[in-house]
Amino acid sequence: MLCAKAQPVHPAPKACLEIMLRNACVAAFSALLVAACGGGAPTTENPVTSVTPPSTYNGPPPQTADIQNFKLNVWDNIQATNRCGSCHAQGGQGNGFFARNDDINLAYEAANLVADLNMPENSLMVTKLAQGHNCWLTDDQACADIMTTWIEGWAGAAALGGRQITLSAPTPASPGDSRSYANADVSDFVTWVHAPILTTYCAGCHNSQSATSQQPYFAEADANVAFEAAKAKMDINDPAASRFVVRLGSEFHNCWSADCAADAQTMETAIANFAGTIPITQLDPALVNSDALRLIDGTIASGGNRYESAQVALWEFKTGVGTTAFDTSGVDPAIDLQLIGDVQWFGGWGITINDGRAQGDTTSSKKLHDLITATGEYSIEAWVVPNNVTQEMARIVTYSAGDNSRNFTLQQTLYDYNFRHRSVTTGLNGDPALSTPSADEVLQATLQHVVATYGPVEGRKVYVNGNLVTQADPIATGSLVDWQDTFAFVLGNEASGDGLWQGTLRLVAVHNRELTPAQITQNFDVGVGEKFFLLFGIEDIINVPTAYILFEVSQFDSYAYLFAQPHFITLDANQQPQGIPIQGMRIGVNGAEVQISQSYANLDDQLDYTQFGPLGQPLATIGAVIPLERGPSDDEFFLTFDLLGSESYVRTDDPPLVITEGDLPAAERIGVRTFDEINATMSAVTGVSTEEFFVDSTFQMLRQSMPAVEDPAAFLSSHQVAVAQLAIEYCNALIEDQGTISTAAYFPGFDFDETPVNAFDTPAERDALVTPLINNMVGIGITTQPAATDVEDELAYIGPDPGGTERPDNLINRLIAGGTDTRSIAKGTCAAVLGSAALLVQ
Amino acid sequence: MHDGTWTRTCNTGVATASVTRDSALVAALFCLLISATAIAGPRERAKTIHDRLAGVPPSESVLSSMADQVAGITGTPMDAAYQAMDNPNFYNVTLKNFVTPWTNREQDAFAPLNDYVATVIGMIRDGDAFNTIFSADVLYIGPGSLPPYSNSNNNHYEQMESQGIDMMSGLQRVSQSGMNGLPLSAVAGVWTTRAAAESFFIAGTNRAQFRFTMMNHLCNDMEQVHDVKRPPDRIRQDVSRSPGGDSRLFLNNCIGCHSGMDPLAGAFAYYNFNEMTGSIEYTPGVVQPKYFNNDANFEFGFRTTDDSWFNYWRDGQNQFLGWDPLLPGSGFGAASMGQELANSDAFARCQVKKVFRAVCLREPEDVNDRTQIDTVMVPSFKAGYDMKRTFAEAAVYCMGP
Repeated sequence: MLCAKAQPVHPAPKACLEIMLRNACVAAFSALLVAACGGGAPTTENPVTSVTPPSTYNGPPPQTADIQNFKLNVWDNIQATNRCGSCHAQGGQGNGFFARNDDINLAYEAANLVADLNMPENSLMVTKLAQGHNCWLTDDQACADIMTTWIEGWAGAAALGGRQITLSAPTPASPGDSRSYANADVSDFVTWVHAPILTTYCAGCHNSQSATSQQPYFAEADANVAFEAAKAKMDINDPAASRFVVRLGSEFHNCWSADCAADAQTMETAIANFAGTIPITQLDPALVNSDALRLIDGTIASGGNRYESAQVALWEFKTGVGTTAFDTSGVDPAIDLQLIGDVQWFGGWGITINDGRAQGDTTSSKKLHDLITATGEYSIEAWVVPNNVTQEMARIVTYSAGDNSRNFTLQQTLYDYNFRHRSVTTGLNGDPALSTPSADEVLQATLQHVVATYGPVEGRKVYVNGNLVTQADPIATGSLVDWQDTFAFVLGNEASGDGLWQGTLRLVAVHNRELTPAQITQNFDVGVGEKFFLLFGIEDIINVPTAYILFEVSQFDSYAYLFAQPHFITLDANQQPQGIPIQGMRIGVNGAEVQISQSYANLDDQLDYTQFGPLGQPLATIGAVIPLERGPSDDEFFLTFDLLGSESYVRTDDPPLVITEGDLPAAERIGVRTFDEINATMSAVTGVSTEEFFVDSTFQMLRQSMPAVEDPAAFLSSHQVAVAQLAIEYCNALIEDQGTISTAAYFPGFDFDETPVNAFDTPAERDALVTPLINNMVGIGITTQPAATDVEDELAYIGPDPGGTERPDNLINRLIAGGTDTRSIAKGTCAAVLGSAALLVQ
Repeated sequence: MHDGTWTRTCNTGVATASVTRDSALVAALFCLLISATAIAGPRERAKTIHDRLAGVPPSESVLSSMADQVAGITGTPMDAAYQAMDNPNFYNVTLKNFVTPWTNREQDAFAPLNDYVATVIGMIRDGDAFNTIFSADVLYIGPGSLPPYSNSNNNHYEQMESQGIDMMSGLQRVSQSGMNGLPLSAVAGVWTTRAAAESFFIAGTNRAQFRFTMMNHLCNDMEQVHDVKRPPDRIRQDVSRSPGGDSRLFLNNCIGCHSGMDPLAGAFAYYNFNEMTGSIEYTPGVVQPKYFNNDANFEFGFRTTDDSWFNYWRDGQNQFLGWDPLLPGSGFGAASMGQELANSDAFARCQVKKVFRAVCLREPEDVNDRTQIDTVMVPSFKAGYDMKRTFAEAAVYCMGP
């Protein structure tokens, strides 16, 4: 974490270093120094620089401890003829003999002319390499990084403990020109995008009237509504970067043809045509905006302060092209990893493993064996972004020989990190693994700093984002004597390909010491990736010389930037602004305000010099993720304000969504009674209580087998079976005199004790049973119900059939033919009505 | 007494025949019924009103009385609807099944009776202003014959249901704070009932309480209020800004819901459902740890410090939800946020549309339906927030031609 003293006029805690006005003769307030401190380890140790330091030096001994440090950290690494020794040794062709091997003290004198121990990365030895001067690797930046590490090692605590950051005033620039929706015509949107594509292909979901309606409603019939929704999905300054295009071309989201690429091209062309109707204009002159600048106009804010004294391997993945990820630890031999299979470079430093691995050879990987077995302890450190939380036994970092044998492995299983480690007390395959607690779901599909440590006292531990997340290692510690030096170091897979891990690695390091919690926290606080301090000039707006809004900006991933830690700062310590209002701050890119993710839109503060800290006055603790457009080298940023000082901008917010509802197909005007309604209905028309024992137990058993919704189309035959069963139970209670109305009162005049033949041999007898059922269950004189005569014919028709239309084969006759008794026939007749549509339909 | 002999006979032959006959009869009567629906006089309309409100057919005497009211002889159709709602089954069946799905994540209508359901039924029975549903200090309990209300279990209500206690006559209104031990300032209507807490304050991040309220009471799931343009400054730290390493997912999807939801769900910062005690817990002044779950996912996200809430949807496209201009749009605690939601046009329209669906058994489908809802029922509802009246209006509208 960056920490520094306040400007001299505004004292701050002593622990922080200082920020001071620098070199007044160059420009009165052109630069500000921020000396950062790491707050890390209180002691320093000589970093590991190679497996077998060269021992060929036979000249005079180093005269001072600093010269000895130079020899150990720099000279030993550069003196060889395949590094700097061939030209920069005595008598060589190089300019400066800092690699001479006749007198280390003279080499030290020469090196002091080309090394900057305060800012190692600014050393001439580093910048020359970065510019392509005889790098011994294929990546100049990797050589520069390695040289930086060596010089940092030489500088020792001074370099490791903190490095100075110079905040220089950027050259003022105005935001560029761009197209703006303010100048767009909805009819053009309709012509090119809305009518031919959106309403044609997207209305199935992105329309408020869709059965599966899903915002944003850019396929709404109302073009104005659709236009508002579509604005954030179209990039009128770079149509290819439009979300509409990416969604089709890269994410294959509901392409309307079999060729998503063609659909994406169609969309891109449509947006480009629409964009072509919008004139390119300057930034709205009414806006209150800062100066503009690009990332490269800023000051690098990252790179220092990591605890690296025991670091024996480091991959920062800065190269960005090619198939090699360089080990820039500076510890020879470098374990340069070959990217095999589907592995992509990740914007802002990193690699994304889709279906492949990054693998070192066994010869260089042996470095890990040698250096770790020498200390008997180690740490694996990585900044990772798991693609998902569904992969299992997926190797993130492994030093192994395949699926069955390993020295160590850090892997993912669902929400857990597993740490497998080989010793005499564990298996040859590093089992049992130490895992983070599953219930805690520590592993998330987002950027995480994970450190797995092993020490001879407490064994294994796993730290995530600086916190220890594992319980005590249940396995006793043991010697590493069984470690094998023939294994390969691999990221994202086993060397055999069994154990693919999908995700992004943004930094991986191996240390041959068990990192302490403080050291882990220190590295976590440093973060990962390249960060810049951007100074957005606002002095012309508030009339305070050298006034800036300071942001820490980094490339967040391949698709966005992270703006964080906004501060108000003046580079002139004598400026003491007070009471200046600042409201509604937004970030603009390439001449237009960004439509989304404006985290500071609600900012409401006042500039107050008494709140100045190391970086000025903090304005917010939150960050903003801003979409990447043209790339980190080209995107130009600026800020706008709703109110800053005396200048203000009146913003027009988006209008409310207007949803025009359309007609639906005409639905049925009837419905089916649902479970409780059926139960209550049967109770109401039979007079049998729902609490009657057998009725209640049957209902509880059948309750969820009955209709749960009223829609007749959802009525199933299984529902009818359940309804019939319940009807039988109610009718049983009714006929067996278990209701609140006696059987005799319900069916006056019907003799249940007669035989079936006698009980049903006259129309009057049949009416005595059927009429009460119809009156109570179907109802009387309700024309929307079945006619009583029709129901009676179905149940109990008797007599001649003059018209030939009635139903002589009625229910009672059929039941009599079945040979059962009168009560059962009555119950069946009752249930036929009670369980029928006359009751079921409402 | 159950006739075992009959049952055996039934199982071996007659019942099968009977069931088969039943099915045939259902089909036959169904056809007869459909053919008969075109003709509807006062008796038919009265029966429809009763069916839809009480869930059961009316007795002959009630039908005749209601028919006279529908015909204008002894009253009005609204009087008939109110007479139908005098049937206990309006409360015990219709309202119970209307409300129960709101009270659990599965939206299960078969779930046991609970204090959320009983409280809504009681409020409707007593004509309480329904826009106090998320803010009132109210709870409805059953008679003293039941196991006493408990903050740690649902026995009281399960017994009420299994014993068939009539909720029309048996529910009693009490002070919620007096029953569950929450301070008065923490009570927020049905949100702080035990059932709602168990369903929506359990584990997680408390966003569920908000999301299900949006679904059940504003008739908009998060997809329908997705607005990527709102400032994301109150989105908590647990929301990854680069899920799986791809910030486009956040910038185009996550942000659309969380930018509005997280500022509002801040109102629930002090609530939790304690699974160990089975009770709701409230920690005034102390934000629940669940608000800091996975807080390292994005350290520059919002870190909740209190139970303040803001309604960012008062700007932008979600103004269409119709926020009450007389309310401030921000505040502290659940009850004030509950007022914000329950006084919106969307809340009123949602209640009306739900009632329309429950009574008419269909969605509003044409201009007549929409006019009825927008110009009659919603204004009527907002005039007094009387759900019972809304039920009556829907029943009369859908009683048939």
